[in-house]
Amino acid sequence: MSQDKIDMLQRALAREKAARKQAEKILENKAAELYEAKQKLEKSYSELEALLNKTDSQLQGVFENIVDAYVIMDLMGNILKMNDAAVGLLGFSDASENGNLMDMVHPTDLKLVAGTFKNLLFEGTVTDSNFKIVTKQKIEKLVHVNASIIYDEGKPVAAQGIVRDITEINSLQIQKERLLEKLEKSNDELQEYAHIVSHDLKSPLRSIDALVNWIKEDNKDKLDEISLHNFSLIETTLEKMEQLISDVLVYSSVGVETLEKETVDLDALVSDLKTILFVPDHVSISVIQPLPKIEGEKVKLQQLFQNLISNAIKFIDKEVGLVEIDVKDNGTHYQFSVKDNGIGIEEKFHEKIFKIFHALNKSKHSTGIGLSIVKKIVDLHQGQIWLESIPNLGTTFFFTLKK
Amino acid sequence: MKGIVFTEFLDLVEDKFGLEVLDKIITQSNLESGGIYTSVGTYKFSEMLQLLQHLSAHTDISIDDLLLVYAEHFFGVLEESYPGLLATYKDPIEMLSSIENHIHVEVRKIYPDAELPTFEVLEKTEDSLVMVYKSNRAMHHFGLGLMNKTFEHFNSTATIVLEKLKEDGTEVKFVINKN
Repeated sequence: MSQDKIDMLQRALAREKAARKQAEKILENKAAELYEAKQKLEKSYSELEALLNKTDSQLQGVFENIVDAYVIMDLMGNILKMNDAAVGLLGFSDASENGNLMDMVHPTDLKLVAGTFKNLLFEGTVTDSNFKIVTKQKIEKLVHVNASIIYDEGKPVAAQGIVRDITEINSLQIQKERLLEKLEKSNDELQEYAHIVSHDLKSPLRSIDALVNWIKEDNKDKLDEISLHNFSLIETTLEKMEQLISDVLVYSSVGVETLEKETVDLDALVSDLKTILFVPDHVSISVIQPLPKIEGEKVKLQQLFQNLISNAIKFIDKEVGLVEIDVKDNGTHYQFSVKDNGIGIEEKFHEKIFKIFHALNKSKHSTGIGLSIVKKIVDLHQGQIWLESIPNLGTTFFFTLKK
Repeated sequence: MKGIVFTEFLDLVEDKFGLEVLDKIITQSNLESGGIYTSVGTYKFSEMLQLLQHLSAHTDISIDDLLLVYAEHFFGVLEESYPGLLATYKDPIEMLSSIENHIHVEVRKIYPDAELPTFEVLEKTEDSLVMVYKSNRAMHHFGLGLMNKTFEHFNSTATIVLEKLKEDGTEVKFVINKN
């Protein structure tokens, strides 16, 4: 073999050797890299595992502690998982028992539930579905269900639902509705009764009035001064009696809420009132701020202002009478005031005057019902009424009406 | 450039032209690695270029033709090393058109530092494909060799026309028509 060839082979061999060493070194480093990567993976795996456990136990806690019955079922209605509340509601002995929710639907509601289930599959959720079930203990219950589909990679695999027992609530609701109906009926009856009674009471009153008049006419010459005075007292009493009966009728009708609420321009209403009411020459009525428009029943609002203004006029004992009507906005309500410079009301009567038949001033015009009606109307408009007064100086009535 | 390209190249040179030629082109070249290559290492492309140039000078075969032959040999290496990847394809046109979006994606997973050419698909029908090769290595004939072998792998043949979009061969259009 020539020296050249030997040299060449030696070079080739040296290259091969060096390449092997190089490869070994590279692989050695790769192995170390792999080891390190494995260590890192192991570490993050155990971190992930810890995180998963934590999340899992949190979810488990939520599942167990949820107050409402929570059920997970497959798409055939077989119960896969349920919490303690569901066990109790459905009448199982424990959560591991097998059951099918569809089998528990009351026969009368099967069709309804089938439709609901179809909706659930198509829409993915069902809310506020009510139907009857028969529990494992053969107890009928009305339940309220909110449910949604659980998807796995876009495919529906199960459904979860929150079930509430509304049997009792429902029966209470029905009971309440019945009571309301009954109440409404008896209210109507009472109303009618008040009408009849007042009518029936008024006609003997008129007869007495007529008879008294006849006796007075027939015996015009025979009656002395005292008797005539007594006769006029009888007449006054009769008039008052009639007024009383009319007021009772008004009072009983105020409580009836008609549904016809409208926008009432109180400014126009009060200026109309000023022309209708009898206002003595020495009394002036002024409206300080323009009154607002509010939602309410016009007739009742008119009654409210009429009673307060005529009350104010009635009790003015000064030579120059002043009635001032004002308003201010307090957010949710308007606060009105009707101020007079009349005789005033002592503080001990402030509560009493709103109660029916509590006239402080015995006269033929006050029956003691006016302010009770006022209070009732204010109540109807979700407002409040109160007053400030200094005896002999005047009174201010305040009341609020909801906007 | 991945070491396997060097080791396979040297093996092929030794096989076809003998150890003397191999020794000659290594000693003639000015190689940083000293001509010591392992398939798991990474080396400079300029070394491959020198080896090719010296081999071309020595054998009177053009660099393009050398690359073509080498690529045909290299396809065999790929067939042996990555049979699974090839098995995911049923058709050569499918396989070639997914070089960019599938094969090179997989290659980068194994060799994150690999410097790969791009193959942009311009037109594609059931039996034809027009692609633009871009690489500053200008190894379009290496690509051509691999393509020829791809058709062979699926028991078919194709007419492949190369059209240089840039004179230096860094951008080349491949017009492939299945026979």
